[in-house]
Amino acid sequence: MWKVVTVAMIWCCLAILGSGRAAMGYEVANVANGATIAGKIVFAGTPPAPRVFDGQKDPEVCGKERTLTRVVVNEGFLKGAVIVLEGVAKGKPFARQNFRGELPGEGEFHHGGGSGLSLEVRTKGCNFGPFTGVLTPHDPVRFLNHDPMRHTLHTFAVGGEKGGVLRTLHNRHLNPDRVIERTFEEGDLRKSRVVRFACNRHDFMQNWLYVVETPYFSISDEKGQFAIDQVPPGRYQLVAWHPILGLRKKEVTVEEGGQVELNFTFSRAGR
Amino acid sequence: MKGAELVRNSYFWKVYKRKFAVILLLGLPLSWNSSHAAVLDGMMGGVEESLEVRVSKKGEKLTVGNFYTAERPDAHAPIGVMGDHTHNEGEFMFSYRYMQMYMGHNQNGTTDLSVGDVLQQFMIAPTEMTTKMHMFSSMLGFNKTVTLMAMLPYVSKSMNHQTRSGQTFTTDAEGFGDIKLSSLWRLYAVSAPSIGTHRLVFNFGLSLPTGSITETDQTPMSPPESILPFPMQLGAGTVNILPGLLYGGETERISWGLQAVGDLPIGENKRGWAVGDSYFVNGWGAYRWTNWLSTSARLNWQWKANYDGRDPATNPNMIQTANPELQGGQRLNALGGINILFPEWMEVENRLAIEFGGPIYQYLNGPQLGLDWVLFAGYQFVK
Repeated sequence: MWKVVTVAMIWCCLAILGSGRAAMGYEVANVANGATIAGKIVFAGTPPAPRVFDGQKDPEVCGKERTLTRVVVNEGFLKGAVIVLEGVAKGKPFARQNFRGELPGEGEFHHGGGSGLSLEVRTKGCNFGPFTGVLTPHDPVRFLNHDPMRHTLHTFAVGGEKGGVLRTLHNRHLNPDRVIERTFEEGDLRKSRVVRFACNRHDFMQNWLYVVETPYFSISDEKGQFAIDQVPPGRYQLVAWHPILGLRKKEVTVEEGGQVELNFTFSRAGR
Repeated sequence: MKGAELVRNSYFWKVYKRKFAVILLLGLPLSWNSSHAAVLDGMMGGVEESLEVRVSKKGEKLTVGNFYTAERPDAHAPIGVMGDHTHNEGEFMFSYRYMQMYMGHNQNGTTDLSVGDVLQQFMIAPTEMTTKMHMFSSMLGFNKTVTLMAMLPYVSKSMNHQTRSGQTFTTDAEGFGDIKLSSLWRLYAVSAPSIGTHRLVFNFGLSLPTGSITETDQTPMSPPESILPFPMQLGAGTVNILPGLLYGGETERISWGLQAVGDLPIGENKRGWAVGDSYFVNGWGAYRWTNWLSTSARLNWQWKANYDGRDPATNPNMIQTANPELQGGQRLNALGGINILFPEWMEVENRLAIEFGGPIYQYLNGPQLGLDWVLFAGYQFVK
C-alpha cells in the first residue's frame, strides 16, 4: 500500500512540476522616435540543389512531383533568412502580416498581431507555408487545413549537440477544414530556438521556424532585404538564421531615430 | 508493517481495492503531460547523443520522442497480437476480430493420449473443443502519449465428450466474455533513415469479470443441467491485471516486434476458484511487399499456471477439465499472416488481416486437450 502511495505522490509532484509555465517577458509599449535596422542577406557560392519528391500521397491535390528549394537565392541575395533583434524588453506590438508559401503550394503563415504573434498556419495545396518563419512560445498556434484531404502534423524542437536531434512535440492528424491549436511551451522546447513542422504523409511539407519573444524580427524578401523598425535606443544582438545555412550574430547599437544598415553573408551549406 | 496491515484489513480497502485499481488505470493518463515524457527523454540523453553522432555522419537527423507513424500495412502487428500499436491524439480505431481455435487431441506433457488412455483415469474424456470468439475493440488516442483500449469479446464454446460406456455428448456455452480495459503508453521512440525506427510501449490494463462463470448444460451425469467445468466458462470471474511491454522496430521494408504480456488474477472468484497466472511472449517479423500488402511470421509462447481452488459443483475426479491441477502448461505457436491496407475512404483507414498457425511445441499438465490450430481474422478502421 505504502508503495502505491509513494508512487502516487511522486506522480503528483511530477504533474505539478510539469504544469508550471514561464512568464513571457516582453511588454508592449509606445516607442517614440524609434530607430530602424535594415540590410541585406548575401549568399556567396552555389546553393544546394532543390530536393525532388515523387510518388507521394494524394497526387491529385499535391501534384505527382514536388520540389523543395531549401535555399532560395536571387542574384546573390538570400530569401527566407530570419533576422531577430535580441534583448528588447519593451516596445512595438506584433504586426499583422502574411507570409505566403512557395508555389505550387498556397499555404501561408498569418500573424494576427497585437500583443502576441497569434500565428495561424493556413495549409493549402499541400503546403503549410514558407520554408522559414517564426513562432513565439506560450502563444497558441492555430493549424488550419484547407485541403480536401488529411495531413498529419508532426512538430519538433530541434536540439542535440549539433542540432541533429528532432524532438517530437506534437503528432496529430489535421483533417480537412479542421483547426487544431497547439502551444509551444518553453518547457517542451528545452532551450531549443528552432521548431520544425512536417507532415508525416507528404515528405516535402516541411518548415523551419525560429523561436522569437518579441516582434523585433524580419524575414528577408526576394531581394534579400530585411528591415526592423521602431527599435528603442540601446545595444542589442542581431541574429540572422537560416535552417540550412546556420546562424550569424552581430552586435548593434541604435540611437533614437537612427538608421542602421547591417548586412550578413552566408557562404556554404552548414546543415 | 502495522500501518499497511491496518489499511489492508480495513473495510475501505476490502470493498474498494478493485475500484481503486480502475481509478488508477484511468487517472494516470489524465495526469500525464509532456513533462513526464521529458523526464524519460532526459534519461535517454546519452543514447541520443551517440545516435546523433552516428546518423549525422550520414547527413541525417535523429527523430526522438513519443511519435508514432502508421500509413503502412505492417504498422500494426499480426492480427493475433493485441495492444501492439498506439494512436495519435484524437485518433479512433474500431476493430472486429474473429478467432477460432480447435483442440482435437488429448495430451500429457508432450505425449499424445488416446481417449482410452484418458478414460483409464477419468469417467469422462473430452475429445475435442472448438472456441469461436468475436472480439469488438476500440482504441482512442487520449493524448500524445496514452492510447486507451477497450475490448468486448463474444464467445461460443463447444466440447465433445465420451464416457467409459462409449456414450458421447456435447456441451455448449455462449455469451459475452470478460471486458478488457487497457492503456498503452508510448515511452520512447527514435528514428533515422539509416537506423530505422525503434519504439517502446508500456501496457497496463484490467480484465473485468463480466463473463459468466456459471455456465450450465445437460450432461449424462447430472440431468437436467450441471455447472460446466473450467474451460467451458466464458470468463475468469476475477479482476485480472494485464501488464505488458512492447518493443517494435521498422525499416523501409521490414518491421518487427517483441511483446511480453501477463494476465494475473486478483484473488478468487465468487465460485471459489481463480484462473492461473498467464504469461505470453510474441515475437514477429513482417515484410512490406507494397504500400498496401505485408506478410508476417510470428512465434507466440504461452505459459499458463494451474488454477487455484475448485468449483464446488464440479467433480475433479470425474473429468480432467474440472481438475484445477490439469489446466496449466506451455506452448510455442508458429503463425503466418497477411496484412492489407486499403486506400483511405472518407479519411478512414481500412485494414484487413488474417493469421493462421498452430503449436510447434506444447507441454501440458495433462491429461488436457491440446491445441491443433488457431485462426485470426480482423478488420480495422481508423478515423
